Amino acid sequence: MRTKIVVLAILFPFVLSAQQKFTLNGYVRDGESGEVLPGVNILTGNFEGAVTNDYGFYSIVLTGGKKKICLSYLGYKNLEKEILLNKNLKLDFELQRQYEQLDEVIINSAGENASVRSTEMSVVSLNSQTIKKLPPTLGEPDILKSIQLLPGVSSATEASAGFNVRGGSADQNLVLLDEATIYNASHLFGFYSVFNNNAIKNLKLIKGGIPSIYGGRLSSVLDIKQKEGNSKKFGGEASIGLIASKILIEGPFLKKENQEGKGSFMLAARRSYVDLFSFLSEELKDSKLYFYDINLKTNYALNENNHLFLSGYFGRDKFELKDLVGTFWGNASGTLRWTSILNEKLFLQTSAIYSNYYYNLDNLRSGSEHSWESNITNYNLKPRISWFINENNTFKAGLDLVRYKFQPGKIKPIKGSSINYQKFDNKYAWENSAYINLKQKISNKLSLQYGLRYSTFTRMGQQEINLYESGKPLSYDELNEIYEENEISGTKKYSSDKKIQSFYGLEPRFSLRYLINNKNSLKFSYNRMYQYIHLISNTTSATPLDIWAPSGPYIEPQYANQVAVGFFKSTESRNYDFNVEAYYKKLHELTDFIEGADLLLTENIETQIAKGKGRAYGLELQINKNSGRLTGWLSYTLAKSESKIKGINNGKYYPVNNDQLHELNLVGFYQHNKKWNFGFNFIFGSGRPVTYPIAKYEQNGLVVAEYNNRNGNRLPVYHRLDLSANFKPRKNSKGKWIFSIANIYNRKNASSIYFKEISEVNDVEMATGITEATKLTFFGIVPSITYEFKF
Amino acid sequence: MKRITINIQKVYLLSFFILLMSCETDVTNDIDLPAAPKRLVIEGGVERNRENLNQKQKIRLTTTANYLSDENVEVIKDATVVITDGLTTYDLVYTADGYYETDELTPKINKEYKISINWKGEVYEGSDKLNEVPSFDRFYYEFEEETIFTDEGYFIKFDCTDPAGVENYYYYRIFVNGVFTIVPDPGNNMTLVESDEFFDGQKRIGINPNEEVSFVPGEIATAQQLGISKAYYKYLYQLFVQTGNQGMSFVGNPPPASIRSNIVNLTNKDNRPLGYFYATDVVTDTILIEELK
Repeated sequence: MRTKIVVLAILFPFVLSAQQKFTLNGYVRDGESGEVLPGVNILTGNFEGAVTNDYGFYSIVLTGGKKKICLSYLGYKNLEKEILLNKNLKLDFELQRQYEQLDEVIINSAGENASVRSTEMSVVSLNSQTIKKLPPTLGEPDILKSIQLLPGVSSATEASAGFNVRGGSADQNLVLLDEATIYNASHLFGFYSVFNNNAIKNLKLIKGGIPSIYGGRLSSVLDIKQKEGNSKKFGGEASIGLIASKILIEGPFLKKENQEGKGSFMLAARRSYVDLFSFLSEELKDSKLYFYDINLKTNYALNENNHLFLSGYFGRDKFELKDLVGTFWGNASGTLRWTSILNEKLFLQTSAIYSNYYYNLDNLRSGSEHSWESNITNYNLKPRISWFINENNTFKAGLDLVRYKFQPGKIKPIKGSSINYQKFDNKYAWENSAYINLKQKISNKLSLQYGLRYSTFTRMGQQEINLYESGKPLSYDELNEIYEENEISGTKKYSSDKKIQSFYGLEPRFSLRYLINNKNSLKFSYNRMYQYIHLISNTTSATPLDIWAPSGPYIEPQYANQVAVGFFKSTESRNYDFNVEAYYKKLHELTDFIEGADLLLTENIETQIAKGKGRAYGLELQINKNSGRLTGWLSYTLAKSESKIKGINNGKYYPVNNDQLHELNLVGFYQHNKKWNFGFNFIFGSGRPVTYPIAKYEQNGLVVAEYNNRNGNRLPVYHRLDLSANFKPRKNSKGKWIFSIANIYNRKNASSIYFKEISEVNDVEMATGITEATKLTFFGIVPSITYEFKF
Repeated sequence: MKRITINIQKVYLLSFFILLMSCETDVTNDIDLPAAPKRLVIEGGVERNRENLNQKQKIRLTTTANYLSDENVEVIKDATVVITDGLTTYDLVYTADGYYETDELTPKINKEYKISINWKGEVYEGSDKLNEVPSFDRFYYEFEEETIFTDEGYFIKFDCTDPAGVENYYYYRIFVNGVFTIVPDPGNNMTLVESDEFFDGQKRIGINPNEEVSFVPGEIATAQQLGISKAYYKYLYQLFVQTGNQGMSFVGNPPPASIRSNIVNLTNKDNRPLGYFYATDVVTDTILIEELK
């Protein structure tokens, strides 16, 4: 009987309540900058409460009468207010920053038990202040390097474009910057990310229990929000470091005397100048190597219920060696969002988004000068409505419409060389999805969040599709255990209004929280994800020159199922919280490349792709110390991730490149006094996989390695300690110094161990027949210094 | 097609940034590779040398060895080797150092050659087709200044017109004073082999057949252009990718893979042979390097 009631409650969340109820809604903002605060806890009793959404908006239904409202957000002073609720009320709040607590780092800003009470699990958040205080690995505070200090997040090496979540590959992460997809999140071959930390407000990484509002990638969502800019006064900050310099300005516009502006803006720019040191080497002196990026965000209040936001990103990397080679790549994105409070219970947001990733590669050698270009563009429209039905139910529904244009490649001669102009066919696709999501409080103890996403992917003309003799591009020769490319028997032309192929996916999402008591909770989640576009890469980790390829006649969409369970706890003082999670993930229709695949400048990518499946499971543990002079966290991950692909490793499961059995991170921040504060992190991880040869033989004058088991060996353990110190010369000084030392005990960690024939004797290059094993270390001890000032 | 694509591996290697900080350590002595059963390795093929159509045809048979050991590969002396063009069968006779030879066989264009090897009671077979290669239009040398990738010195250059409308695959060999020279280098897959995909039918000027090998005045420089089959092109491409491994995660570090031979063990498929049996058409030219004023 009892279960029946629960089921009824799930099915009919709307038919509840009797007493006279009113809705309280509004925005919560930072009292100093006027920026909205997402994730603020609003409590009206022990169990009645709400959390502000991404735009700082809340809506809560309460029984009428005198009410005490308490707002809490770590790093801000608690705000308590008594109100008389006898009609629907719109009430905005401003929270004041806590200054007496010096400059301490807040770990879990949602605070006040939020992680225990929320239905979310497998979610980690970092704000830009925390990232800034972390010791920078290579001179620059970096978002993607910082999230790798959290459980379940890793990367194949220090220099790989992207990151890996719970064993997934780098292309399985949906990276959103103000809702726009960023296709390649790395600068400088992966040493830095494209996100300028100064321009970032906060980030949220969702590793599991992914809500139905997100879709399109198997493993995770990294949702990054840019700062909106101070709506009360002009200001800015700048920093000068060894690697890059940055500047940010922000302020209100259309501001009247003694009032907030109707809008605000933030503009940030960053440029690196590694190449300024190129004069040190005669050979490198005409070379170029730099990156830059520009971040912009503005918002404008049309009236008290309607807001417009415009945000954009543009970044490029340039690398050129005179008369040899040049490459140029980067992302561009733009988001226009309109949020509207339709009434006290309905919040509507609509975003129109443009996103592009471009790269070009110029060969500048005489005789064969040419330029190669590739890019991917999407246009995206995302309307979403949030309905705050009553105190127990919040409903969201929306659409996610994406139009893709893939330009896989174009080659053209430059300086009159004899290369023939050639352009690969563009590929077009629609990825359209609709979703619903319901957050439901069943009882004081039990809360659910569940939803469904229906995704579709349709490849459209205009394109010529190859037809293969046996119907598929590759046949597997069981006898010799190799793939054979099939001959192209013809082509089929599709005009621009014709569908080439469609795929559909039904993606249920579910998460549950059971509150054991106010300090402890159990959680469970399940999600199914579909991924329709795939990153084509044939190196051990992603590079800027990898190509995104859509699903189509010969490439199936990938999909994954994940379950996770977790236990969350916070201590009496709420100073510590603790969580442990276990997950199991199965991945299907994974793509990998046939051995010896040749991907660059290959038009018929389908002839190089093998399919298989994967599985990943693990245990993640995190302890946070949230406030005080010493804050930080300890995280530990025990994990295993494997793939099984026909034709690789004799068709047996093998560990993926980023597989690491143990990983431990200890991160701490210490506020010594008003002038000095310190940060440290210690990383310890078991060795990642590597493949050792089983034999050598001679061929064409070279020594060749023969391999048998993919990733059958392990690198040595990885560990290092990084330290940083921030120094403010005077209590109120606007400037500060940031000193840091990465890898302080100069450990030579192995990025890879590889085997080769020695190719030089007495400075003369030649094949020697002598073989060796070489360990490659990306960096030893790296000191850096940055000066930062506000104005 | 690959010549035009340049050598991305090297490009990244040269990022100053990485140069500034990365370092390599020889860990040969820390690694213990278990012994694996020895396998048959085939090297050689049918070469139609334009300048000498009746040259000896040679195949070398050896075995695999432990990768990090100092031992030389073992030569095989006790195999039976025959090549057939479908009509005639030629017996190859063991001479020395693992070589099996015949001077009966005069290679012909567009013919498919099949090899059959019998060793230790197991039979191995494979074949390749001989494709015609165009001659050099011009063969010369030029002096080049030192660059990041290459030393200064004299480099062989040639001009060549690719036959239009046919798929051509090329492989280049260099000889210094008559000695075949090759350097294990991440750029080899882009320079030593190429497909005409992006220059079909074009006259190409100033091709450098090997950027790693330079000459000094007084040396005799020889280059060969080989017309090879698509399958052998793919084999060599992989061979050069794998032997150019530089351990960098983002490039120059392909997933290590076994390079599949075109020879199959018919008796015991698990005892896979390695290496390649090819058929190729070869043009050769030679020039004496003299100091340029």
